[in-house]
Amino acid sequence: MKINFKLNGSNVTVDVVPSKRLLDVLREDLHLTGTKEGCGEGECGACTVLVDNRPINSCIAPIANIANKEVITIEGFRETKAYRVIADAFADMGGSQCGFCTPGMILATYAVLRDNPHPTEEEARIALSGNLCRCTGYQAIVNAVLKASEKGIKL
Amino acid sequence: MINHYVPTSLNDALKYLSTHDCYIMSGGTDLMVQKHVSSLVLPRFDKDVLYVGELKELQYIKEDKDGNILIGAETKYADLLLSPIVPEIYKTVIKEIASPNIRNMATMVGNIGNASPAGDSLVPLILNDAEVVLKSVNGERVLKVSEYILGVKKTARKNDEIIVEIRLLKQNLRYLYRKVGARKAESITKVSCLVGYQIKEKKLIDFRVAFGSVGVTIIRNLEIENKYKNIEVKDLDVDRVISDYYQLVTPIDDQRSNKEYRHKVAMNLLRKFLLELKGGIDE
Ligand SMILES: Cc1cc2nc3c(=O)[nH]c(=O)nc-3n(C[C@H](O)[C@H](O)[C@H](O)COP(=O)(O)OP(=O)(O)OC[C@H]3O[C@@H](n4cnc5c(N)ncnc54)[C@H](O)[C@@H]3O)c2cc1C
Ligand code: FES
Ligand code: FES
Repeated sequence: MKINFKLNGSNVTVDVVPSKRLLDVLREDLHLTGTKEGCGEGECGACTVLVDNRPINSCIAPIANIANKEVITIEGFRETKAYRVIADAFADMGGSQCGFCTPGMILATYAVLRDNPHPTEEEARIALSGNLCRCTGYQAIVNAVLKASEKGIKL
Repeated sequence: MINHYVPTSLNDALKYLSTHDCYIMSGGTDLMVQKHVSSLVLPRFDKDVLYVGELKELQYIKEDKDGNILIGAETKYADLLLSPIVPEIYKTVIKEIASPNIRNMATMVGNIGNASPAGDSLVPLILNDAEVVLKSVNGERVLKVSEYILGVKKTARKNDEIIVEIRLLKQNLRYLYRKVGARKAESITKVSCLVGYQIKEKKLIDFRVAFGSVGVTIIRNLEIENKYKNIEVKDLDVDRVISDYYQLVTPIDDQRSNKEYRHKVAMNLLRKFLLELKGGIDE
């Protein structure tokens, strides 16, 4: 079935089975491999993308549910000013080690700061609770979120 | 051959359902996990799939003239949390379901349809006598959520029906709620307990108890509740209430927890809440 949606600002059409996971459409059909697959079951957030500006887990999103929506992946988000602020904060605070969780963490951080520009440490932790990291032990990531919040992500 | 159908309207969906036995896909956060195979492999469905999750006409939250809140079935948890008219007790429960990402995708109707004893929203829905509206090409019927869910993964849905609306009936209760999981956020419930009550002139005029994850469905017992209605709050015998619920709570062992732990925590939560209820009377 043909499904249209907007991806990082451009219209795209894919011809796939409606149950195909958005994650597989992005990585296989559209060759955007910035979005990662960790658990494949909705639990780790490595596959986070923004759909109509809200973070979702693309590994459990059937492409049928994405029709006519606007998807932003880490490749598209890289072009924004907010990305610069968040990525610098991650670099400064050591919020990324192997980097596998980082695309998801960065998009989740953006969503947190957009809804709550000055979160407490506890609020930041709760907001990122769906994004797992095997390397950093989380403190460095939370520090990065707080640092990005200090600078402010001008939208 | 498995068909996948993406309807353009509710009527279109109902017509399809009238001739096909299918899975109804809302947010997919249960179904896509249950049918998942591996990366780059399509989820394995053994019958047709109907995608209703993005039907705009089923995404609304409104209040009727009696103060009941009507929720379009395809409304996401995130939108329920943002709504000023959704009762606080539902928000309290929803905030502890999964993670922000999942709450942007998942629906309460999916929680009901999945009919798991660990479905967190089922606890306030059943305690508050919430209803679902089922629709088919032949008409409409209304069931209580407690009547819709028949057992683990078993519901009263007929093949041609779909839930189109959830009705949160107006209540004047105060609540005590606690979900116990493996960690603070994003964990499946091991045990949950919700007590709802109303006190008037030192009398307990309404008293309800529901437990999640400790039986084949959410546990609630009207006979026990009625025994304690209209008594003076100071006469509420905590040990007697606990012994009434003791046999009813029948948890199982699974990968998340064992039955002894679950039973003990369920009873401890109930005791704590009953003491709070009694202690709060002079406030
Ligand atoms: C990482 C993770 C964490 C989770 N944590 C929790 C948690 O803490 N608490 C909790 O309760 N759940 C949790 N869940 C489970 C799930 O997110 C919820 O049950 C959610 O409410 C399902 O909604 P959905 O829209 O995604 O359902 P779907 O997967 O689309 O559907 C679920 C079931 O409902 C049926 N259904 C869907 N729509 C309708 C309809 N309109 N009419 C009739 N039947 C219908 C489907 O056929 C299916 O059987 C978690 C899931 C994941 C992946
Ligand atoms: S890969 Fe999607 S949540 Fe883990
Ligand atoms: S940096 Fe390695 S998983 Fe997070």
